[in-house]
Amino acid sequence: MRVVASGEQSPASGPGALESLLERVAQGDQEAFESVYHAVAGSVLGLARRVLRDSAQAEEVAQEVLIDIWRTASRFDPARGSAMTWMLTLAHRRAVDRVRSAQASANREHRTALRENTPAFDEVSEQVEHRLEREQVRRCLESLTEIQREAVTVAYYRGRTYRETADLLGVALGTIKTRMRDGLIRLRDCLGVAA
Amino acid sequence: MTDADLHALTGAYALDALDEREAEDFARHLAHCEACTSEVRELQATAARLAGAVAEVPPPELHQRVMAAIGEVRQRPPRTTVLPLRPRWRPRGLPYLAAAACLALAAVAGGFAVQARHQADQQRSAAAQARQQAVRLTAVMSAPDATLHAGAVKGGGNATVIASRQLNQAALVYHGLPEPAGGKVYELWYSVNESMVPAGLLTPGRSDGTTLLSGGPRGAAAVGVTIEPAGGSPKPTTDPILLLPVSA
Repeated sequence: MRVVASGEQSPASGPGALESLLERVAQGDQEAFESVYHAVAGSVLGLARRVLRDSAQAEEVAQEVLIDIWRTASRFDPARGSAMTWMLTLAHRRAVDRVRSAQASANREHRTALRENTPAFDEVSEQVEHRLEREQVRRCLESLTEIQREAVTVAYYRGRTYRETADLLGVALGTIKTRMRDGLIRLRDCLGVAA
Repeated sequence: MTDADLHALTGAYALDALDEREAEDFARHLAHCEACTSEVRELQATAARLAGAVAEVPPPELHQRVMAAIGEVRQRPPRTTVLPLRPRWRPRGLPYLAAAACLALAAVAGGFAVQARHQADQQRSAAAQARQQAVRLTAVMSAPDATLHAGAVKGGGNATVIASRQLNQAALVYHGLPEPAGGKVYELWYSVNESMVPAGLLTPGRSDGTTLLSGGPRGAAAVGVTIEPAGGSPKPTTDPILLLPVSA
């Protein structure tokens, strides 16, 4: 995001507003954190709900992640990516950790049940409403091959490892790794994402 | 695993689809593979967009719990021991602008939260609309090409326009706008080729808030605000009390 003063025609290149805010958060600024909260809480909660499929757990994880953003803001390094990416990567890892530790305590039968209950991409995408950002992501997901799309969405929205994803989709391990990479690359190009 | 094998794992790593040990191995590999590092960053940014696409309106209780908690939580110190007085990446000579950007974003976020909560209290369709706004607002704010222009409003108050040409979407954040006399309303406009195209009305009776403009900023040079009779006008009947550029 570029910042330009009223009436000034030339933009000042620099960090985005969210990056500046995180920097203030790192210095203990609670007002700045409040703004960061409003910018990211919706995505953090939505993502946690996707991965955990349970309202109470999703809210717990979202709360942990948001507090973690406050706690570790000083570790954000703008040279390594945007503030939004940093926060959502944190959120995804936390949700995935939770879902995997729950899995670890379950038995093999649970795994079979999981396979039966895994929604196809269509079900996931059906809940993705026809909205601007959603629409763009959905459109881009549709430009992937079926196996690329399933590999990406099962791993990301359901928090599965590539082994589990391969197992669930009945695809060889080597293939699934490649499809995750190809799929994300195609998605990156379609969305016009820069690091 | 060979380096080539490891390189193929960039996608799985960005999706957090490696198990713990593999993720550690891969992170070590990243430390000496520049190409992988840059690819992983891009793929992580791509994955984050998948999260943005499932944004929802968080319940007010979550906000209360988190804000209450941070007062008690001790922050971790930065990893580096030498802390520059001025952060190295803030453009020098622009502290005011950076601060203005922060304030404007704070206003966006705060104003929107109130609005979102208010709407969620109404019916489902209103909640869906708020959700849509949350997604759009997040998208506009994090768009790589987003520009931010702030200015004072004639007659009182101030406003900031955040616009992304890529998304063809703009938002107006406003603060301290006085109630117009005689039941009149604030109307928003895009200035396109010297003519003014209506871009929606501000909610009457509210001095602070955030609104997404109807239509998009593509092709527009500026966003204007005028005071119009109740219900708005197809063309401005008064001079703009605010005019902010939307171009870079």
